[in-house]
Amino acid sequence: MMLTEREQERYKRQMLLFGDDGQERLKKAHIFIAGAGGLGSPISLYLAVAGIGTLTVVDKDVVDQSNLNRQILHYDRDIGRRKTESAEEKLRAANPDITVRVIDTTIDAANVHALVGNADGIVDAMDNFPTRYLLNDVAIAKNIPLFHGGIRGFYGQATTIIPEKTACLRCIFPHPPPKEVFPVVGVTPGFIGMVQATEVLKYLLGSGELLSNRLFIWDGLQAHAEEIALERDPHCAACGDTRQ
Amino acid sequence: MTIKVRFFARFRELFGGDIVTAVSPGTSFMGLVKEIAEKNPEGYEAIFDQNGAFREFVILMKNGKRIDCARATEIPVADGDEIAVFPPVAGG
Repeated sequence: MMLTEREQERYKRQMLLFGDDGQERLKKAHIFIAGAGGLGSPISLYLAVAGIGTLTVVDKDVVDQSNLNRQILHYDRDIGRRKTESAEEKLRAANPDITVRVIDTTIDAANVHALVGNADGIVDAMDNFPTRYLLNDVAIAKNIPLFHGGIRGFYGQATTIIPEKTACLRCIFPHPPPKEVFPVVGVTPGFIGMVQATEVLKYLLGSGELLSNRLFIWDGLQAHAEEIALERDPHCAACGDTRQ
Repeated sequence: MTIKVRFFARFRELFGGDIVTAVSPGTSFMGLVKEIAEKNPEGYEAIFDQNGAFREFVILMKNGKRIDCARATEIPVADGDEIAVFPPVAGG
């Protein structure tokens, strides 16, 4: 897949890092982003400008005023608009050289396989564990990576799940935390979203060390990052040897 | 024996930062966390259920290795151990 002259110019500075070959890999890729909220906004924006050839963004919500402290794809004028429509407009404006697909729906067990389609990877930009478990299941079934992120307040976590190779989301978090209206300031999903987006790029480029079997933990208040070693659970309900 | 206990996310808000504590030999992982948590009713409530067991979503680590909540009563802590107690964060 050749790059156009315009693309060569657009991506000039990053092609100093990974060349024509790397940029072409990004152009060929299709990434599925589940959510256009706090995490999904910065992730989709940065993956768009990096030149990921096809982005599919799914969200079910309408922009609310209380979203605007963190969901940077949506502006004050978008209040009341579908998030997918707002996201599509911004991402297309940011980079008209890529394909942006948006789907306005609630991700559920019945539609998740079809929604993800033939994507090369899934970005978890959800705000709840039940949907994350569905994304985890479909990543395992399709043997594609799941780039996980979660946030609360000034605190966030991220990891990259490679089916068959690393712990899956259920190995790591077999039980979801209780539901709550979580406190959040925009810098936290911005920060964790960038960790996830960096993982997507590294995975597609085949460079660096992924956060595989490593849970990255960020405490913004302490300005302290650390990581926890993870391992697969052989009895995991989603990826273990005895799974149904 | 000196043990370092680290809480993360909401648990850190409830307990503050790292806690370095002296314990007697033979103390279990569960015993240690309970001893600390009992001084803080709200923190205790967040970590333990009404039967005094770890809430099922709580993640326990000892020196970077995951500990099964169900085995926390059997696993002893040793001098210099660093243990971590944290909840997953669900927001996006």
